[in-house]
Amino acid sequence: MALRLLGLVGLLVVGFALSLSVSEYALRLLNLAAIAGISVIGLNFAFGYVGLISLGHAAFMGLGAYILAILTTQAGWSPWLASVPAILGTGLCAAAIGFPLLRLKGHYLALATLGLNVSFVIVAANWIELTGGTNGIAKIPGLSIAGYALSGEQPFLWFALVILACLGFVASLIQSSRHGRAMMAVRDDETAAAMTGINVTAIKVAAFALSALYAAVAGCLFATHVNFVSPDDFGFAQSITFLSMLIVGGEGTIVGAILGATLLTFLPEWLRVLGDSYLAFFGLMMLGILIFLPTGIIGLFDRWRRRAPAPETAAAEVAQP
Amino acid sequence: MTILDARGISKRYGGLLALADVDLSVAESEFVALIGPNGAGKSTLLNVLTGLTPPTSGTITLNARNVTRSATHSRIRAGLGRTFQHGRLFERLSVLENVMVGAANRPGRSDTALRKAALDTLGLMGLERFAHQPISALTYGNRRMVELTRALAGQPRILLLDEPGAGLNSGEVEDLMTRLRAIRAEHRLAIVLIEHNMGMVMRLAERIVVLNFGSKIAEGTPTAIQADPAVLDAYLGAGSSYAGV
Repeated sequence: MALRLLGLVGLLVVGFALSLSVSEYALRLLNLAAIAGISVIGLNFAFGYVGLISLGHAAFMGLGAYILAILTTQAGWSPWLASVPAILGTGLCAAAIGFPLLRLKGHYLALATLGLNVSFVIVAANWIELTGGTNGIAKIPGLSIAGYALSGEQPFLWFALVILACLGFVASLIQSSRHGRAMMAVRDDETAAAMTGINVTAIKVAAFALSALYAAVAGCLFATHVNFVSPDDFGFAQSITFLSMLIVGGEGTIVGAILGATLLTFLPEWLRVLGDSYLAFFGLMMLGILIFLPTGIIGLFDRWRRRAPAPETAAAEVAQP
Repeated sequence: MTILDARGISKRYGGLLALADVDLSVAESEFVALIGPNGAGKSTLLNVLTGLTPPTSGTITLNARNVTRSATHSRIRAGLGRTFQHGRLFERLSVLENVMVGAANRPGRSDTALRKAALDTLGLMGLERFAHQPISALTYGNRRMVELTRALAGQPRILLLDEPGAGLNSGEVEDLMTRLRAIRAEHRLAIVLIEHNMGMVMRLAERIVVLNFGSKIAEGTPTAIQADPAVLDAYLGAGSSYAGV
């Protein structure tokens, strides 16, 4: 518990310090990284814990963003109020889709979720009277707290960091609960999990819905930050990016999800000199990570920690017979 | 009192009749062994009883409840426990967490209560020193024991063990037998044991059921089974020397 609170405080402190010292452009990227981080922590439930390969995560982020966008611009709701049906509606939708979809396994599930994402983009691009088609929805109102508009990059980042820290904290509580253990048990061995009394279908659907809830929160933040949504923002390429972020950071860990999201948000900007060959570099980097670092950046820390145990732990081990 | 009652269980895979009208009834705290040559249908019967494979016909009653069409997890919650032939553990969880998953089959227990229950069960099996180790650090024998502990942590009324002695050395088999006897006595637990180690079967079982080609060919006390000509012919082999065990 202490470690968890430390992580929460650490994230806020580092984020706050960064927010005071970096350029406006970097602040914008940090905002996008925080939003992606929330989304990837969500994906971690489905992919990291239960092992469901979802290539449709961006569709749930998009669904949340679009519900908020439509309710605020067409029905005149406040973004705070609109975020409630946006988040809950997306979660329910994921649960309803999950029931039939999660009977599929491995590559079949990956293909089906990919199809789901493609369908979402087609609907968003063609249901013009509701979604504005490929032009998207503009002029989405921003968030404000007690009359103070979170319109600048800096105040929005503070808000996004608080949300990220809180949702990361909740995720870590779930991870170490019986439900988190049940999720990992299902990933490791479905049959053995059922043989310990775990309702495998319910766990899968719950993890899928939970991942969609997080994606929808990210979608709402995205819509109120950028004030504009279009089908391009939520294509399946974005889903693949989310999955890459989780793999690069370290699947199955919340810190890894945040690290991966931050790194892969900044990397294209750092490597802008590469131009179009960035994609080739990105592909090779992913290949390298999958081969040499299958547990991601977090795995690197773990390896390093195991090689050099801290002197006090070694002493404690000697002291305890 | 009967805990588990399977009546007229048949299982057909296309043209193959894997189980043909098999009856199996197990009473509270009874120790039943299920023996037979490879391919006789022993594991298939366990799969049908645990809900992994639906039977082609027949009914299964568990704790006076018809569970023939129930999902595996609800049978487990109704008092069934099972281990697998090769030991199936959750590799990414620690030993303690594996057992905590087993203990969590009843709702409403706090994490602290689950941890305590898991540690108690590990202690019962003499495994408490492995509690915080990863599964990958265990020997094969200890993996099997942890799987058994995980099943026990769910407080089953009846435990189905698929060759728990396979791959264990003779010292580990002795240890396993001692613990199984003690646990059964203490918790009034019924056990159905599939085992090829005849020494173990003859010493533990009160009743033996013999399957061959999916049919029950004999049922009775160890002494009666060792003298049964059909069993000798099918499985134990003529000139069997188990009479003295």
